[in-house]
Amino acid sequence: MTAKDKNSDIASLSYEAAREELVQVVASLEAGSVTLEESMALWERGEALAARCEEWLGAARSKLNAAIEAKGAAAAKTDAKND
Amino acid sequence: MSSMSSWGGGANSGSGEGLANRADASAGAALPEDGPNPSRSNSRSEPWPISTLNAKIKGYVDKLGYIWVEGELAKVSGGNGRLFAELRDLQIENVVQVHSWNPAGLEPGLAQGDRVVALIKPEFWPKNGKLSMGIQEMRKVGLGDLLERIHRLRMQMAAEGLTQVKQPLPFLPNCIGLITGKDSDAEKDVLQNARLRWPEVNFKVVHTLVQGEKAAPQIIAAIKQLDADPEVDVIIVARGGGAFGDLLVFSDEGVVRAAAATTKPIVSAIGHENDNPVLDDVADLRASTPTDAAKRVVPDVVDERRKLGEAIARIERSMMAFVSGQESFIAQLRSRPVLANPYAFVDSLNEDVLRTRQSLRERFAVLLDQGVLTLDHLKTQVRSLSPQQTLDRGYSVVRKPDGSVISDASNVKSGQKLAIRLAKGEIDATAD
Repeated sequence: MTAKDKNSDIASLSYEAAREELVQVVASLEAGSVTLEESMALWERGEALAARCEEWLGAARSKLNAAIEAKGAAAAKTDAKND
Repeated sequence: MSSMSSWGGGANSGSGEGLANRADASAGAALPEDGPNPSRSNSRSEPWPISTLNAKIKGYVDKLGYIWVEGELAKVSGGNGRLFAELRDLQIENVVQVHSWNPAGLEPGLAQGDRVVALIKPEFWPKNGKLSMGIQEMRKVGLGDLLERIHRLRMQMAAEGLTQVKQPLPFLPNCIGLITGKDSDAEKDVLQNARLRWPEVNFKVVHTLVQGEKAAPQIIAAIKQLDADPEVDVIIVARGGGAFGDLLVFSDEGVVRAAAATTKPIVSAIGHENDNPVLDDVADLRASTPTDAAKRVVPDVVDERRKLGEAIARIERSMMAFVSGQESFIAQLRSRPVLANPYAFVDSLNEDVLRTRQSLRERFAVLLDQGVLTLDHLKTQVRSLSPQQTLDRGYSVVRKPDGSVISDASNVKSGQKLAIRLAKGEIDATAD
């Protein structure tokens, strides 16, 4: 099973779940008591988890910005109307 | 119905008879004329003469006897104790001719437009086919009567439970039905104040009279019309201040019952703070003035919008804070060496491997050297033990085929196979 398969479950993780697991991966890597193979696997999973979290946050931020801009645009429109 | 002009004109043949009849009627005596038998059959082939018809009508009319009625005086004429007039229904276009010869029964100073209560006796005159109402007693409806009647109506409404049911008003009305006088102050107050609070509010205004006896039916019609209108979800009845008499219509039973019967909430905004028509009791909300009605029916949407804006802004701020907080947390995790610089642990493992390999080699080298040493040593030993040098000097070693060395000639028999090892090579021989 290639690394990509092993980490394909991450896409379905909630943000909190991904974040929690990332914390554990970092902890176990820092403990260093794992084999090379496990470390590589952990490292790959850590990367995938971090990317997933950033994906969640990026989406949230862009939605927020869109909403605020839309509101701004709407306000501008009504201001224009009121001028 | 006999028209007024013919009645009010010259000497009226019927009036004389009226006097005579009145005396008999009160006594309930039989009819003066011995009219034909009233129960005669009637058909196309046996038509009645008019006299029978009139007798029949007179019979029915006389049965009515004396009746108390209420109405509004109009077209008043006559003098020196005689009075001719019309009596109009207070709400519906109905009128009767009334007359009186007995001044005693009349309150003095009755005039056009007075609201009166009268005791009358309907009379039918067979001779001229006229129907008229003889007035026994008539007087204006005084203030006391009005108040008394309003009070009774109020009690009646309460007794029927029409004053308890208070429907809630819609928070944001889709369309407000407004019943008020045309271009009245009340109309301006309601519309202006409502629009101040909610520019997009929409109204359906129905203009009606707001005082006098024709007002009631118009108001009732307006209430029904707006109540039936699917778009309207609240109705306001508004009128500015006015004298007691002016506000009477809002204590009219018809109007009050129409208001009580609406399916939609209805707001009464009549006169000023201290005016309290019966309409107030049955309305779902009693506003003290038209302006107050606008304020209580229309929420201050401008204010609501501001609060809404603030709420949304707060939501956005807290969302932003949360997202940036999480972003820095993830960034911090990412910056941890194990993730940021994965080569670290690979390198450290790599170093372990190198180190181990290195020590492996060194150890191996040592072993190798030792091996070489022992080999040389063994080689010299072998060489020193080996007879080679002796053979080189010309000696040889004789052995039996089985390899055993022969050192005593006496042991050898003739024909014995022998193997002779020289410095270089070996010879097979047989002993002689």
